[in-house]
Amino acid sequence: MAFSAQTEKYSGKMGTLTFGSGDQALTVGGQASMPFAAFDGDLPNKAVIAMEVYDVVNPEWPAAVVEPFKDVINDPVAWAKKNVEEYGAKAICLQLASTDPNGEDKDAAYAADLVSKMLAAISVPLIVWGSGAVEKDAEVLAKVCEVNEGKNLLIGPAVEENYKKIAAAALGYGHAVVSQSPIDVNMAKQMNILINNLGLPMDKIIMEPSTAALGYGVEYSYSVMERISLAALAQNDEKMQCPMINDLGKECWKAREVMLSDKEEPGFGPDQEKRGVLWEAMTAVDMLLAGSNLLIMRSPKAVKLVEECINELSA
Amino acid sequence: MALTCLTIPESINIMSKTIGPAIKERDPKPIQKMAREQQEAGGDIQDLNLGPARKGGDEMMAWLVKTIEEVSDLPLALDSTNTVAIEAGLKASKTPERCIVNSISAQPASLEDRMPLVKKYGCEFVALTLSEEGIPRDVNERGMCAAEIYGKALEFDIPAERMYIDPIVLPICVDPGQVASFQEFLPLIPDFAPGAKSTCGLSNISNGTPTELRHFLNRAYQAMLMNLGIYSSIVDAYDGEMMALCQGKIAPVEDLTKTLMDGGDVDVKSLSPELQVYYRSIKCLMGDVLYSHSWIEDLVEKLDKNWYK
Repeated sequence: MAFSAQTEKYSGKMGTLTFGSGDQALTVGGQASMPFAAFDGDLPNKAVIAMEVYDVVNPEWPAAVVEPFKDVINDPVAWAKKNVEEYGAKAICLQLASTDPNGEDKDAAYAADLVSKMLAAISVPLIVWGSGAVEKDAEVLAKVCEVNEGKNLLIGPAVEENYKKIAAAALGYGHAVVSQSPIDVNMAKQMNILINNLGLPMDKIIMEPSTAALGYGVEYSYSVMERISLAALAQNDEKMQCPMINDLGKECWKAREVMLSDKEEPGFGPDQEKRGVLWEAMTAVDMLLAGSNLLIMRSPKAVKLVEECINELSA
Repeated sequence: MALTCLTIPESINIMSKTIGPAIKERDPKPIQKMAREQQEAGGDIQDLNLGPARKGGDEMMAWLVKTIEEVSDLPLALDSTNTVAIEAGLKASKTPERCIVNSISAQPASLEDRMPLVKKYGCEFVALTLSEEGIPRDVNERGMCAAEIYGKALEFDIPAERMYIDPIVLPICVDPGQVASFQEFLPLIPDFAPGAKSTCGLSNISNGTPTELRHFLNRAYQAMLMNLGIYSSIVDAYDGEMMALCQGKIAPVEDLTKTLMDGGDVDVKSLSPELQVYYRSIKCLMGDVLYSHSWIEDLVEKLDKNWYK
């Protein structure tokens, strides 16, 4: 008797999200099966990696992620160009760390202007990420949306406390939103509903389920994401059919195992760079296996590794 | 035949804004008013929840028992983590043999301290399926806990009929799969402890959900547990629809619940908004649809509070 492989049939399908404008727009999501299981359903869009650019760099960053950018580290626009031209970035994520009220507290007008300059300099879609300060992010991201009307940026993270202002600005000025929830599958759904109720269509929302690095709770992120994927695919839950994004670079590069040299912790081994690169790459692959569609990453070497992995698993 | 369920009204609770101060100030009026109202609403057993009651819990429970027995002839469930308070309540009661010790868990200290009281006063008790390892994760662990408590009861020659097994209800946001576990567990009770009853702290299902919507989830869950044959539930006696449900007076809910739990489906659009609330809640509680706080937001405006009458 001929062998016939068992396949899983899903009643639902993940929605898509397109960000960026014109020829450079990118589409993620749309999968009709669990990650890389092309034998179960259509996987129309490969996962995309967006490379991070910071407008201010924490002096504690390990050398492994300063070295590749050392000539551009004080110039975010040049850094973004380098990521695209030299490291082949398919998208950029601008981390607006300098707007943090507990840091440099730079204002919304500065951020909006920086985004405009970056848009003019690069040929790939742009994600704009706030500092994580809830109120300030709402103010900064709203201004970024207004000044850069119609550019179809992906902005975030919008959380329970600030989603109204952020989603309203995205809706008014033609952008897409990252809907972030605190490792809680019920809240992930609720955030989508709340943002969608404001009038932003589901194909303008991407979920960030809160990303943890390897060794720091990655299994929680994994479980929530897998549950989200199953709700979207197996239960055909239309409020869960937004693709997923993971802001993982910053989580990985602050892990103890990445920050410490072998002098401080001999057991970790001498190659601190390799450790960091693998830490980020492993976390990224975990997120892909949990159903991620868009990864925000830092190290060019890690990005290269993960892209190879995506290509091989999609072949 | 309509399914029914014994009700244990939950409102006499030290955490309540009216009852808490009244207990502390030994003011019988609001407490007796509530006890009467709960009985008039059809409550079957009065739950007296003193919580930890570390300080002066014994005097508090004794006073509370006497205060309530002056106005209500229902059996009392003495609910506290302070065993001294429980015994004081049993001593104070006119009919201690009708009281229920709420609760005895499978934790050694609980078994050692409390089972002798059940023996001494000839009363009933709630067997809470909780062990040293915490809340059971599945049907096997629930069964292990219940069997351990039952084993202890047998040592004291306490028959299974005096045991109310509480499988522990967890909030829907914490464990959406628990219905399946209850579905497996409740039918096992007659096998390993013939004659034992069941009970549950129902409203924990909606812990963490929007306050004004909690009773919708509570009712749907109660309908599901009744379909599984639960014997009693700790409920809000001021929720008229809940009481009617427990008394087997809302046939459409019972029918809908049975259909859905038997794996059938119905045409949602043909249902009244009130039944759609049950439908959606049951779907979430069964794990078929992921719960979110907005699960019935578009229906709430359309509901008639008296639809079931």
